[in-house]
Amino acid sequence: MPSTAESTSRTPVLARPWVRWAGIGLVIVLLVVGPLLLPEFANQTIARIGVFAVAVLGLNVVMGYTGQVSLGQIFFVGVGAYATAWGVDNDWNVVLVFALACVVPAVIGLLVALAAARLGGLAIAMVTIALPIVGVPLAKRLSDLTGGSQGTSARFTDAPEWTGLYDDQWQLYIVILIAGITFLLTRNLVRGKYGRAFAIVKGNEAVAGSMGISPYRYKVLAFTIASLIGGVSGFLYMVVIQYTSPETLHFGHSIELLASMVIGGAGSILGSLLGGAWYVLLPQITNLIDPNITAMLQGAILLIVLFILPGGLVSLPRLWRRRRGSLSTPVPDQTTPTHDAVIIHTERQDQ
Amino acid sequence: MGTFIQLVIDGLSTGSIYAALALAIVLVNQATGLINFAQGGMAVLSAYIAWALNGFGVPILPAILAAIVASFLLGAIIERYLIRRFEQGDPDTAVVVTIGLLTLITGFCAWVWTYNNRLFPSLFPLETIKVAGAVISVRSLGTIIVIVVTMLLLQALFLGTKLGLALRAVAINPASAAFSGINVGRSLMTGWGLAAVLGAVAGVLVAPQLTLTPGMMDSALVYALAACILGGLSSPIGVVVAAWLIGVLENLAAVYIPFIGHDLKIAVPFILIFVVLIVRPQGLFGRKAVVRV
Repeated sequence: MPSTAESTSRTPVLARPWVRWAGIGLVIVLLVVGPLLLPEFANQTIARIGVFAVAVLGLNVVMGYTGQVSLGQIFFVGVGAYATAWGVDNDWNVVLVFALACVVPAVIGLLVALAAARLGGLAIAMVTIALPIVGVPLAKRLSDLTGGSQGTSARFTDAPEWTGLYDDQWQLYIVILIAGITFLLTRNLVRGKYGRAFAIVKGNEAVAGSMGISPYRYKVLAFTIASLIGGVSGFLYMVVIQYTSPETLHFGHSIELLASMVIGGAGSILGSLLGGAWYVLLPQITNLIDPNITAMLQGAILLIVLFILPGGLVSLPRLWRRRRGSLSTPVPDQTTPTHDAVIIHTERQDQ
Repeated sequence: MGTFIQLVIDGLSTGSIYAALALAIVLVNQATGLINFAQGGMAVLSAYIAWALNGFGVPILPAILAAIVASFLLGAIIERYLIRRFEQGDPDTAVVVTIGLLTLITGFCAWVWTYNNRLFPSLFPLETIKVAGAVISVRSLGTIIVIVVTMLLLQALFLGTKLGLALRAVAINPASAAFSGINVGRSLMTGWGLAAVLGAVAGVLVAPQLTLTPGMMDSALVYALAACILGGLSSPIGVVVAAWLIGVLENLAAVYIPFIGHDLKIAVPFILIFVVLIVRPQGLFGRKAVVRV
């Protein structure tokens, strides 16, 4: 097939192994050195991007990869944050606190999923939308655990003396480490056996069933993993922001997470990172432009981006390459295989 | 007993607001297969238009009628120039588009009219009547009557007119509808326009009670969505009944179940949804969607 050969010859540099390893090495060096060089504000912003990138990643597992609309992701982030605060308040070891922040949301997620995964489509969206909506008044009510409307704070991530680091640098390192591991594990999950099962459940439940893959079981699994990752994000939230209140799990944030996921790119690891960046940076940028019209600008920018890139920011290189491809190859019949090959290439770059 | 009747009537009145918004959502869902999160935002914009016209000296009733016409046009324009592009694509993207629209419209209202609460003149006199020991406000009764009349008009439109027949045909099967000579695009625009009109009715009915703010319909939207799921997205009557049920039950639960109280009453519809959906996944009145493999 000439078109395939053509497309491989078009993107050989990025596909070569040594280039990829060099790229990975460069990213690692940047992540290690960056926090030391950047100003405090940049470090804090990057740390917050890490926090919400993990939250978007969790949402992507259940929605982007498994196709189940979840409007409750922020609830699990909030539960993780509250669990962290509670553990720190009771002087638990930090490793135990982290485990608590993962296990509590995962168990709640499992229980919700056992019921919700029986429902299809929009019903699951409504059951999950209930979590943050009921969660806010509930968090206010359970003031013994949560500190009520005042919220609760936990300072446990001041940089230790021996490191000689500033607090923001230390926090950013924690975020990079935990978020990096979470991203790596999730990437392996969705590329492997489970990821393929998720994809079939998303694509066609009847086919999944006929292949011996129980849609119900995999939906529950995806939802539980998403909740667990939400809990990780909640832990990181406390690492960086050190304070949580019922406002943290406001339903509006859940909607924003959903929008960020689609803007970044549904069903994409890199897209989750871009989604996290979008979640944190968009309000800051619109605030810089004109604080009076932030909401309007945010809505307008979101619509413009989706108008140009319905596949999210992650599809930008694909669009660009297709533009260039359509200029250099005038034969329209060959666009379909080229297009497929290009998709494979972009997916490889995600890794 | 007096309190009970009062709570039920008030519940039916707030339930009617949810019902109007829920019907708008069902209308859009039937026509284009997506959930419009901006429906509440559009309703708020309609109410603001009526309020602004009223501020320029137009009497309230003509102002509302003008706002309703404007809403119809706005809904049609949004369908044609924004939603049309996403109708065939990924449904998640389409939902996020409506979220973006909600942010945009809310932001626009906030920019033009600020976040301050605006007093919206009531359509009904602020009097009460005593029935069987219960004090019932004329406003509650009026709200219920307006919604019921709107529903009957809508039902007549869908069942009794050629336009309604075309709209239903497009909802059921756009391709076949197009083959039989129906202008599918224009029908979809009409559907969105009608939904916006329903939203506008809900907006002007709720505005005097809650006072007008850009986020006025946010919680109503959540209740309306809950009513849609509870009633079943394919059944307009079911959705209205579910909306009334939610309105009444949450009022009763807030007063009679001490643990729930006024802050947790928003949990009531969701507990209801949870219980109902476990037993009947298609909703109280919905038809089971049969998927051909």
